[in-house]
Amino acid sequence: MPAQSRYCIRAPSHGAREPGRQPARDVQLPRVKGNGIIMASRLRLLFPVLLLSFALIACSASPGGGPVASPDASQPAYPLVLTDDAGRQVTLPARPQRIVSLAPSNTEIACVLDACDQVVGVTDFDDYPAGVASKQKVVIGAQVDVEKVVAADPDLILAAGNELTPSSVIRQLAGLGYPVLVLYPRDLHGVYADINLVGRALHAEEEAATVVAALTTREEIVAATVAGAERPRTLYEVAVYQGLIYTAGADSFLASLISTAGGAPVVGDALSTAIQLEALVTADPQLILLGDAAYDASITPASVASRSGWSGLTAVRDGRIVLVLDDLLITRPGPRIIDGLEALARAIHPELFS
Amino acid sequence: MARAAVATRTYLAGPSLTRTGLVLGLGALLLVLALGAAVTLGSVGVGIGETAAILGHRLLGLPLTPTWTPAAETIIFELRLPRVLTSMLVGGGLAMAGTVFQALLRNPMADPYVIGTAAGASLGAILGILAPLLLPALAIGAGSAWLGLGAVQAAAFVGGLLTVLLVYRVARAGGRVPVVTLLLTGYAVSSVLAAGTALLMFSSGRALGAIFGWLMGSLAGASWPQLAFAAPLVLISFASLVVRWRVLNLLLLGDTQAMHMGIDVEREKRRLTMLATLATSAAVAISGTIGFVGLVVPHLLRLATGPDHRLLLPASVLYGAALLTLADLGARLAGGIPVGIVTALLGAPFFIWLLRRSGSMAAVP
Repeated sequence: MPAQSRYCIRAPSHGAREPGRQPARDVQLPRVKGNGIIMASRLRLLFPVLLLSFALIACSASPGGGPVASPDASQPAYPLVLTDDAGRQVTLPARPQRIVSLAPSNTEIACVLDACDQVVGVTDFDDYPAGVASKQKVVIGAQVDVEKVVAADPDLILAAGNELTPSSVIRQLAGLGYPVLVLYPRDLHGVYADINLVGRALHAEEEAATVVAALTTREEIVAATVAGAERPRTLYEVAVYQGLIYTAGADSFLASLISTAGGAPVVGDALSTAIQLEALVTADPQLILLGDAAYDASITPASVASRSGWSGLTAVRDGRIVLVLDDLLITRPGPRIIDGLEALARAIHPELFS
Repeated sequence: MARAAVATRTYLAGPSLTRTGLVLGLGALLLVLALGAAVTLGSVGVGIGETAAILGHRLLGLPLTPTWTPAAETIIFELRLPRVLTSMLVGGGLAMAGTVFQALLRNPMADPYVIGTAAGASLGAILGILAPLLLPALAIGAGSAWLGLGAVQAAAFVGGLLTVLLVYRVARAGGRVPVVTLLLTGYAVSSVLAAGTALLMFSSGRALGAIFGWLMGSLAGASWPQLAFAAPLVLISFASLVVRWRVLNLLLLGDTQAMHMGIDVEREKRRLTMLATLATSAAVAISGTIGFVGLVVPHLLRLATGPDHRLLLPASVLYGAALLTLADLGARLAGGIPVGIVTALLGAPFFIWLLRRSGSMAAVP
């Protein structure tokens, strides 16, 4: 282990910071990015409709997922109609007081918006922030116990997309009349949009805007640091099983995160996220990140180098095989995802982060 | 010949009334006990008096002042009761369909899935699960429901029916559907579909858990609308099958014998197959492919009561319903494991014990 420890990477120390208590130094970066122009052109297209339904629009919530708080922040517009990441319309009759989270990333989003006390149900996988592990568990062994969800008496359920929360469970809970908000971010901006969406649901738009502004700043620092640098072909190993290498799927969250961190992701199939050895040899990664090393101590740079067929890879010949012990930060699309991004960027470009 | 004549007489006269009453009465008692236990017990504790009050209030309209929480009412009335009734419907339907297929195919290994229902329904369900992931444009519509069914249930139901229609069509030769050809065709078509299923599972990524849960069979998604879809289909199938007990008894003697007894064998086989398939597909659509119940309950009852379908069909419904309800209760109390694991784990050893005790396979068709 000591021989490998210099390869190990850790999240920067501010990763351990309690969310919801953002230090003042990294807040309030204005987010412009041309959003206003896009909004304006959309509004012009919609102008006749807007005129016809002016009264309705005037008293509904502010449109879009932007971080801007509603003009009259003291008067939340409940009942509130939101569109979740599955394209479903979700109606909240009042400001949620009892939140059930069906994924650890959702718990972290609620907690970063200072709503940890309102979270009354979590998964047995929840471990952050400290204290959530002692909350009532309604998802055990990846099985949603619907009776326990109902017993928690929620007025907002935060589910996950992509079958992480089975769609049958989402349909069942929605059918019972609970507001179920499905969060399924496809990239960093999806995480920001989800934080803003939950912010709107909880009438914590300002907190959400602050958090998103801070995260955006840190993302931009990473992007600026790696800009112009060479982008090594990077294999992020999620698991190796029965001869198939599971890595970032094409167009996946993980692939986009690796791109942002300054690497060129070696991707697998979009659905199965697997790549075959021959395709891997053809792709010839220059850097191998071992995400599975966080869960299996037997996976080491030496064990990877000794796999048959791997010895010719550039990454193996150059000795660029890195243990990633922060896999949870990298693969959990919550507010700590930027910690994961920074960890990835350090692993891909150690020379730029000293 | 003499044996066949004796057998025919018994088959047409039916079993004694005492035995019928005993078997059916015991089955009904078992079912009521299973119902009570399954509604009262679960992962969240609701008192037995409270449970009874909620049921009385909601089902009988008793003017009770609610002393219970709304959550308790939802758990009992919207989660447990539809789930328990679904387990009864599915267990009864599968056991009944298994009884019919074992008689129709004269094969002790026959179960409701044997001629392709399971393979077709599985492929349909998996396509239903994966379609929104493969074509994100569909994801918006995936939350919508048709007749109380999601896309997955509808695809499974249609997949099961279409497969059996295809198998039946392929197996027909010269206006006849020989039983052996039907079985082998069902096996072959199932193999092709299973290969498609395996291929989709292999490349399914995150959805593998959902697919696996469906294949193992689970009643966790049970709801009133799903029950309202499946119940009429299973009940119509039951009513149409139970009046055909005489045909089933005669088919046990063989196609030729049955034809000599004045049965339009091909027409009856076609009807029986379609009725049993209708019940099976409806059950599978709302629960996944739950194994074992449809294979073993008919055998258990044959060992206990003999091969007369006048008693066997209603008894298989009662005992199948009770068995699956108890198995699902066990699955729920064990932390929500798939019910198919419980039926096989507890049912198979009991079945072996019964087989050895009876000392022969005489009752098997």
